[in-house]
Amino acid sequence: MNCAECRDNLVACAEGLLDREALHECQAHLEACAGCRAEYKVIASLQQRLVARGQAAAEVSLVAPVMQRVLQKRKEPERETIMSKILKHRWGFGLSAAAGAAAVILLTTLLTTPNAQAKAVEVMTKGAQAVAKLTSIHLRGQLRTAPQDNFSSINADSPFCTIELWKQFEPDLKWRVEKPQRVVVMDGESTVMLIRTDDTGVKFPHPSRSAFDTDWLQRIANISNTISNELDNARAQGWKLDTTEETAADGRLKNIVTIMAKSGVPDDDYGRNNFIGTADTRRVYRFDAQSTLLESVQIYLARPSGEVKIFDLSQIDYNQPMDPSIWKLELPADVSWAQLEPPKLPDNEKYASMTAEQATRAFFEACSREDWNEVGKFMSPVTADLKEYLGGLEIVSLGESFTSKAYVGRYVPYEIKLKNGHVKKHNLAIRKDNPAGRWQVDGGI
Amino acid sequence: MDLTDKEYVEHCRDGHPEDFGLLVVRYQKPLFSYLASRVRDGGQAEEAAQESFVRAFLSLKMLRKPESFYSWLLGIAGRVAKEQFRSAAHRQRDREAAETMMAAATDSAEEYPLEEAIAALPESHRQVILLRYYERLSCQEVATRLDQPLGTVTKTLSRAYALLRQELAAREGAEPTVNQTQ
Repeated sequence: MNCAECRDNLVACAEGLLDREALHECQAHLEACAGCRAEYKVIASLQQRLVARGQAAAEVSLVAPVMQRVLQKRKEPERETIMSKILKHRWGFGLSAAAGAAAVILLTTLLTTPNAQAKAVEVMTKGAQAVAKLTSIHLRGQLRTAPQDNFSSINADSPFCTIELWKQFEPDLKWRVEKPQRVVVMDGESTVMLIRTDDTGVKFPHPSRSAFDTDWLQRIANISNTISNELDNARAQGWKLDTTEETAADGRLKNIVTIMAKSGVPDDDYGRNNFIGTADTRRVYRFDAQSTLLESVQIYLARPSGEVKIFDLSQIDYNQPMDPSIWKLELPADVSWAQLEPPKLPDNEKYASMTAEQATRAFFEACSREDWNEVGKFMSPVTADLKEYLGGLEIVSLGESFTSKAYVGRYVPYEIKLKNGHVKKHNLAIRKDNPAGRWQVDGGI
Repeated sequence: MDLTDKEYVEHCRDGHPEDFGLLVVRYQKPLFSYLASRVRDGGQAEEAAQESFVRAFLSLKMLRKPESFYSWLLGIAGRVAKEQFRSAAHRQRDREAAETMMAAATDSAEEYPLEEAIAALPESHRQVILLRYYERLSCQEVATRLDQPLGTVTKTLSRAYALLRQELAAREGAEPTVNQTQ
């Protein structure tokens, strides 16, 4: 080894990165060469200086206190808008009352954050940093839900079913979310959902960042924002945030961040715990300590009867190439397209002036006499499966409608006897937030 | 997969203040180390570091070169450290003591140019130094974190050492790096 080769290797030597043979050659040269030995001494001295500086600062953790001060200062001139900010950044639901209270909680939380929370803030912030340049992501997990239900629907008593998301951020945004009986694809030009149980299609003729109740999963896919939002919420709403460490079977250290999230939906609300966003949950984020990457997420539903795991995200693939076929949705030849917005009818006022109960009765009565044209004024599309299921029914009873913090429309309790003799008792979800102002059946059949 | 300082600063300016936390993660330890050398007290250094970050955030719109965030931050930290001394002196109502402390702060600063020298490195080199020594990752861990081959990290580190030595030689008046080979 000559001087040039030796000096090329001095940093690697000081770092202990040379293999045995190269190390031996380097050491032999250093013994023989005073110039290189002096050079090595300077490098080793600088290295020692750097190591000492790093050791002295090893326990420093300023992220939480700095960010608390920064966000507090930022919010000072706009306290009157804190409620809207909290609502804007929530995962799912928040209550106006809870948001009002949160303004008070915010100030106390900022002053009393314990060390464990500060550590959690740092772990999550580093996790966000590690994925700051995300070009694509693939998530695969298990959700307790009915395979045909909407994407945010949960049922703690259902078995797990697979839910998967593919998302490409660059060069242009595309995404796909799929569960066994429901799939939605945003191919950069339009957003199409197919409900496979009855081959119903819904199409937005434009690209979208999120649609069809996939928002909660999309947020996890935008990991950097998710983490920021969770931290924001934890601060703003006083959610408990904690962190622990564990060593995996392969010896790698993991940082586990746990967040107890409150939905703000009252205990007696019909929509409570039926959707990810209306449930009180414990969210567990597992980060690899070395890479700082998020590796898994588990969500547990907190029920009075005990906790139950409702979501288990076990696979996260970062920046993997995406097969172009992911963005193509194969539609059945006889797909029934749902109308996005019901048109105004010549006798629109007749329907617009109905109460939720009257609209429910009119809908079921039309099903009873199999007047599918009339049924179509309350629901789109009217599929063959729907006709087969509801045709010839008998109304047993209808109740008084009620609302939920989880839903923009109303629920109408009903009991019907189907033509096969089966009696069904449920709540019809019905809404009229459309330009025609007519009640439209939205679910609960 | 980390963003550059410039990108983080621009994100903050574009309405994502939470991204400032990522700059804090990146520079909290070298900033603390820099201040600890100046004020010689861990608690005061931590307090000064917090204050420096908060002032930096509040002045972020005035930063003309976002890529020079760390150098700019050190400048703010230097002023915060001086203010701390003045404040302590004011509290003690002992001008003489304050002058002694100020002098000590200047005289005892033989270590702090290291962080200034790090600030002068190109960002890719600075990142490797910070991860290796302040985040105390091994070279292999740095390679994994930056998604680079180990050889690239080693070469960057070697180059960073050379640049650091040049900077330190200029700032500390030391002998320049021995570049001649035998």
